[in-house]
Amino acid sequence: MTNRETLMSKKQNNNKSNHDLRVYTDITQLIADPDNPTPLVRVNRSNPNQEFQIFLKLESYNPFGSIKDRIAFKMLTSLEIGGKTVVEPSSGNTGIALTCIANALGIPIEIAVPEKIPEEKKVLLKFLGANVMEADDALCPLFPAEGARGLVNALIHSPATKDTYVSPNQYENNLNVQTHYQTTGPEIWKQTQGKIDYFFAGYGTCGTITGIGKYLKEQNPNIKIIGIEPDSMDHKLPGMKRITGLSEDLIPKILDRSVIDESVQVSDEDAYSAAIELARKDGIPVGPTTGAILYVAQQYAKTHKGLAVVISPDDAFKYASFYKDIINTK
Amino acid sequence: MKEYDLSNYVCPLSKIKASEALDALSELKTIKLILGDIDSLKSVAQELKKRGLKPSFNREDESRFVLIIAE
Repeated sequence: MTNRETLMSKKQNNNKSNHDLRVYTDITQLIADPDNPTPLVRVNRSNPNQEFQIFLKLESYNPFGSIKDRIAFKMLTSLEIGGKTVVEPSSGNTGIALTCIANALGIPIEIAVPEKIPEEKKVLLKFLGANVMEADDALCPLFPAEGARGLVNALIHSPATKDTYVSPNQYENNLNVQTHYQTTGPEIWKQTQGKIDYFFAGYGTCGTITGIGKYLKEQNPNIKIIGIEPDSMDHKLPGMKRITGLSEDLIPKILDRSVIDESVQVSDEDAYSAAIELARKDGIPVGPTTGAILYVAQQYAKTHKGLAVVISPDDAFKYASFYKDIINTK
Repeated sequence: MKEYDLSNYVCPLSKIKASEALDALSELKTIKLILGDIDSLKSVAQELKKRGLKPSFNREDESRFVLIIAE
């Protein structure tokens, strides 16, 4: 049995893991699933209206620190690698998760990252041993504002390199959607005992909002699914993508707009302020994308009642340098 | 004159390789770049403009563009 088959088998038998004692035979068994869900934590002092309860789904409790751990494992263990090097564009979290899993499998990996991501993420990727390629956002006219994605596309399609590289391609990989449909969605439904009224998530690769949205709508079509995007193309919300104004060929192919009821735009300032307020009033240190999503939920709280779940993709620690810039200017 | 055949690289890899070649221009004085698609040609042309370089250009066929660049 190969390393990959061994890990897949262990994960499939995860229900045999003892989550009470929390003893595991490899790190990937810690990746969240309905038997081992990430926590749902209520926002208290940062919520303007307690009749609109806001719960954060804290995905930083995955072993490699973000929501991307879920999809990275599925995509990598399903990929026909055939001796090639794995390569993926990432604003950090997918790259970190893929690298950790690739390391556990003994697979070489290269990650293309936008130059503008926090230094902490680049250091972490290099610490993990990934070959990190930094790409200027304007590098490729085929992928305007997404140079890293363009670079990986070129590695996969150039005659000179296509036999060397293989990519999970989270933007087009249906496992990205399927993983959330099979794990994150059922977790939220079970953790809220089916009482969820609103679900808030960001647009990025769009696997999260599509997979969870589809699952929740199937349980109760009245649940409102709200998508959050930056209010400009030039933003400091790594992992988040502005969908509005993008040409169809640049919108992630896995996005299913039919499950989304409303899209809301958020500024960097509001996103960072919400994240900082949450840390200072509720003691929950989250990344700026969580701040963006939470900000929209807080606006809903002023005029709505019910139970809301906000996806929190990761925590604050990988963004210390970004927060430093904001805190120093306030 | 050193020749860089980049026709097996699509954009933006072709642009990255071309930039590396252009970095050596002051030493080599003249270089020849061969590109294999129109997107590569556009992005390399942008890079040349940014560096203030004017190449001589020859389109040999639909998928072979030859640029001669002198310092």
